[in-house]
Amino acid sequence: MASRFWGQGDSESDEASDYEEDIEDEETGEPTAQTAENKYLRGTASDSDESDDQKRVVRSAKDKRFEEMSATVDQMKNAMKINDWVSLQESFDKMNKQLEKVMRVMESEKVPTLYIKALVMLEDFLNQALVNKEAKKKMSSSNAKALNAMKQKLKKNNKQYEDQINIYREHPESEEEPEADEEEDEDEESDLEFEEDPSKIAMSDEDDVKDQSEMEGGWEKMMSKKDKLMDKQFAKDPSEITWDIVNKKFKEVVAARGRRGTGRFEQVEQLTFLTKVAKTPAQKLEILFSVVSAQFDVNPGLSGHMPIHVWKNCVQNMLVILDILVQYPNIVVDDTVEPDENETQKGADHNGPIQIWGNLVAFLERMDIEFFKSLQCIDPHTREYIERLRDEPMFLVLAQNVQEYLERVGDLKAAAKVALRRVELIYYKPQEVYDAMRKLAEQTEDGGNGEEPKVEDSRGSSAFVNTPELVPRKPTFPENSRTVMDALVSLIYKSGDERTKARAMLCDIYHHALLDEFATSRDLLLMSHLQDNIQHMDISSQILFNRAMAQLGLCAFRAGLIIEAHGCLSELYSGGRVKELLAQGFSQSRYYEKTPEQERLERRRQMPYHMHINLELLESVHLSCAMLLEVPSMAANVLDDKRRVISKTFRRLLEVSERQTFTGPPENVRDHVMAATRSLRKGDFQKAFDVIESLDVWKLLRNRDGVLEMLKSKIKEEALRTYLFSYTSSYDSLGLDQLTKMFNLTAAETKVIVSKMMINDELQASWDQPTQCIVFHDLEHTRLQALAFQLTEKLSILAESNERAIEAKIGGGGLDLPQRRRDGQDFANHAASGGKWHENSSFTHGRQGSGRSGYGGGGGGRPQVLGQGYGYSKGASNLRAGGGYSGGSRYQDAPTRMVTLNKGARA
Amino acid sequence: MANTTTPTMARSFLQVAATEEVAPPLRAVQIEGLVVLKIIKHCKELSPSLVTGQLLGLDVGSVLEVTNCFPFPIREEDEEIEAEGANYQLEMMRCLREVNVDNNTVGWYQSMLFGCFQTVELIETFMNYQENIKRCVCIIYDPSRANQGVLALKALKLSDSFMDLYRSNNFTGEKLREKNLSWVDIFEEIPIKVSNSALISAFMTELEDDTPVTQCDYDRLQLSTSPYLERNVEFLIECMDDLSIEQQKFQYYYRNLSRQQAQQQAWLQKRRSENMSRKAAGEEPLPEEDPSNPVFKPIPEPSRLDSFLITNQIANYCNQINGYVTDLKDRLISYPGFWAELQPIIFDEGLA
Repeated sequence: MASRFWGQGDSESDEASDYEEDIEDEETGEPTAQTAENKYLRGTASDSDESDDQKRVVRSAKDKRFEEMSATVDQMKNAMKINDWVSLQESFDKMNKQLEKVMRVMESEKVPTLYIKALVMLEDFLNQALVNKEAKKKMSSSNAKALNAMKQKLKKNNKQYEDQINIYREHPESEEEPEADEEEDEDEESDLEFEEDPSKIAMSDEDDVKDQSEMEGGWEKMMSKKDKLMDKQFAKDPSEITWDIVNKKFKEVVAARGRRGTGRFEQVEQLTFLTKVAKTPAQKLEILFSVVSAQFDVNPGLSGHMPIHVWKNCVQNMLVILDILVQYPNIVVDDTVEPDENETQKGADHNGPIQIWGNLVAFLERMDIEFFKSLQCIDPHTREYIERLRDEPMFLVLAQNVQEYLERVGDLKAAAKVALRRVELIYYKPQEVYDAMRKLAEQTEDGGNGEEPKVEDSRGSSAFVNTPELVPRKPTFPENSRTVMDALVSLIYKSGDERTKARAMLCDIYHHALLDEFATSRDLLLMSHLQDNIQHMDISSQILFNRAMAQLGLCAFRAGLIIEAHGCLSELYSGGRVKELLAQGFSQSRYYEKTPEQERLERRRQMPYHMHINLELLESVHLSCAMLLEVPSMAANVLDDKRRVISKTFRRLLEVSERQTFTGPPENVRDHVMAATRSLRKGDFQKAFDVIESLDVWKLLRNRDGVLEMLKSKIKEEALRTYLFSYTSSYDSLGLDQLTKMFNLTAAETKVIVSKMMINDELQASWDQPTQCIVFHDLEHTRLQALAFQLTEKLSILAESNERAIEAKIGGGGLDLPQRRRDGQDFANHAASGGKWHENSSFTHGRQGSGRSGYGGGGGGRPQVLGQGYGYSKGASNLRAGGGYSGGSRYQDAPTRMVTLNKGARA
Repeated sequence: MANTTTPTMARSFLQVAATEEVAPPLRAVQIEGLVVLKIIKHCKELSPSLVTGQLLGLDVGSVLEVTNCFPFPIREEDEEIEAEGANYQLEMMRCLREVNVDNNTVGWYQSMLFGCFQTVELIETFMNYQENIKRCVCIIYDPSRANQGVLALKALKLSDSFMDLYRSNNFTGEKLREKNLSWVDIFEEIPIKVSNSALISAFMTELEDDTPVTQCDYDRLQLSTSPYLERNVEFLIECMDDLSIEQQKFQYYYRNLSRQQAQQQAWLQKRRSENMSRKAAGEEPLPEEDPSNPVFKPIPEPSRLDSFLITNQIANYCNQINGYVTDLKDRLISYPGFWAELQPIIFDEGLA
């Protein structure tokens, strides 16, 4: 039996040669007639045999049926001879009907050999006819139609009798062997087994279909069937199995990979079985590698994900791989060198290094991707999703182990990659979620311990190479997620490549922001210069960057840094494509239809639900910030409010809401903020705050009360500022206590705010200390003055560009023109204007972001063409920013720089 | 020439005809009082919109006498109506000739607002006129300026050198330098002299009031200063914008030019090295000029005419502001004096 199995390959080649003979026959001489003859001769010979055979057994009642059938078969042969597919088709249908009768008469399950023979004959003839293209062309249309119909029918029909056909093909003349029966039983068993597994059944069905189309298809199936036999065989006498046998079989199975009709699940099974019979640890390892890659093959598409149980199995396999690697440190895994054929023959006691082909990191990354994909695909509102999430610690253990192994081996670069995978699983988790995960991991450990070895036991009972569980199966999570991050990230910084480092940095930033460490995360962002070159990175990293920025914005908001928060978030909202930018859903565009290809790509980029940043919260934060900044600014620049737009998005929304004839009660975030804006513009801080507070997304914030308190004080402050901007012209002087009462602020706070406005030249006033009054100076510019200022500005721009023209004429590069121009405009503003004008311009430029005085040393290396003026302006705006926003100045330029960079044009 | 020695008034038509070939430069424009009144009336009545009309008169030596005029109907942006306008003009001329009035076209007049007249259209019209009439002027009247109690009349003509340049339509920097033409040299302003016949002068003297103060004088004392200045500054700002746009055009041009030059250099380099190798191989060298190559296609230089005109306008505005402010200053200085004198009178009246 064993020899028969191992000799399977031979039998196939026989079969193939048989077939070739047929073709040769066809080639020689007149094609159709002769082959038909051949068939006929052969057919009759066997036919008589068969009928004799039957006659012995069958009584006369059945006899009749059989004769009818054989008559039909004869008819078919005749039809074949003259290549008449129409009548052939009729006969075929007739035969099928007769078959039913025969079966009924015979009262048996078995299909008569006669029928099978006819099928085989028909199939061969059909194949010939299909191969012979010229003859096909010559056919009449009805004939050709019949041929095609026949092809379809036969395919469908033969599927039912596939096994018998195969048997018949193998042993065309011999009688049925008892073994064959056994095989059949076996086959049925295996079929039953297949049906037990619902996910498999689909696969095997699919395979079946494929099998039909090919001659070869059949024997794969046979092999899988015989695999069971092999199991038995191996189980019976383990001592007989040698390394060579296993190796040969292994090679065979691997060679079948990727071929059409190779059952993917079966291959995994076969390989898994082989791991048990592997003779040396190296061999086991090699086979395990193949198992894992075969498991990856189970799902061929890019969009679908790996079945979860296969994934889990895969994790276990990986762990076993690690076990072996730890147990035998002399085994080296490498994917660059092609190891020697018999490298795996070296036994466990071999001293020298053994090289095995494989790539742990690639496997691990693939597993992570599969995990990610499965989360993308599963509906997040189901139990399944949660179940899937529970598998995360499992993966983390694996990653941890792989990383440790790699570190031990000294492959730090690979270790960094693995560390990044771990980082990417952790970075978005707030401490609470992290704790939950840690607890879950500890809990499942107790339950899982029993389960895992069981799997191992059931499979490894007969394993020759027993691998003790050396690698810990239990994740060791430190108490604090920050500790994990720090450790991993520092490893990556030390030895990762550029992309890994950048991603790790972004994750780090995100995590810091998540933990409310705004300053740290801001510094990281600025030091890394990620804003400058994120444009050149891959889309997934850009998404990560956007996420980090969003998180940073939220963090800044929680910390009460409104300008910074707005700087971080405004860009996300500038295009109205937040969802797309954060990969949290699809945004439809009215003007632009996406191609299906793009859509697919986008779908593949989506973040799993549990990693989402709440968009509503993000929008609330963004709009609140925009409101706090815009409302006073609008009040301050009533005359030309088009010029100093801080948030275009906000302005647009405001315009839309102002255009409405009737404003109902607010429903969504926008409505709320717009309602608040309307109140705030009137100076009604309490109402504004109430409206904002009524947004229920705030509950998503950790310290909701604190943030709301902050928001309230900010709203008060901005309300005061707005009030002063709007109504100073109506006052000669204003009492401090009056203001204090009006805005429910303390005297000190009011004083601070008002004084700041005076210092910033936003308010032309002075304090009258004894009476605690603000005395306003009417420094309103007349229209003429304003125009004159405008004129001077224009003039200086003109002068500036003239200078540059001269410069271009008398030398100087043309490449850095845009940059210099930008500076030049600043220069113009600073140089040409004084007083309030000056202040305003520098204020705007600081905010809108020339980005010139950014963190990176203010572009130190740039040639200072404009000399003093240029330097002066730089200094001034730095000073301004530094004074204005308590320590946030460095930062403040940076996000704005990002804005300009991304928009690519400056106002 | 005699024109400097003999008074222009005394020259007869025949005399002028005799000396015509010499064509002395135009020194002055002499306008009949009637014509001035007609122009003012026409322009003022339709003040916000701009109007034009025909000037008729005689070309006498270095003086252009404008003796009559008639308004054009208000032009609309419609070709038919424009054709009608031309018909009207011809018809009008015919009628005038029939009644034996001067019907020799010497130019046209037009109204303007705040002195923005330096436009390409004006130049084009001028060139059109110039084709038919050797000497032609354009009289411009500014009703807004007239409100300040000034006779805001201006006679303009294009300078000869500019006209040459314009005909060749070549306003590149090189040509301009060659001709030594700057923005000042586009328009020439010609002094205006208003003349009345002796009879009219006598009649006017007869009519003249005893009161020394006229409406004009009151206008001149107006103290609301800002609107006019504001408008001027606004226009200046607009001009600045226009000028920057022009400048950007040039920048763009120069950038393109330098890029092209770099490309040319690169191409030449390549061609030369190619030629070297060809020479080494004994082949005929390729020409170093390849006009078909797009690299050598000259980039058209933007015309400077627009920027010249804008500059002219700016100068105009500046002059206006200057003049106005000087007046204003005088007014403000003299105001306290007036006040001191007027005060007792007003109070007396008030008490009475």
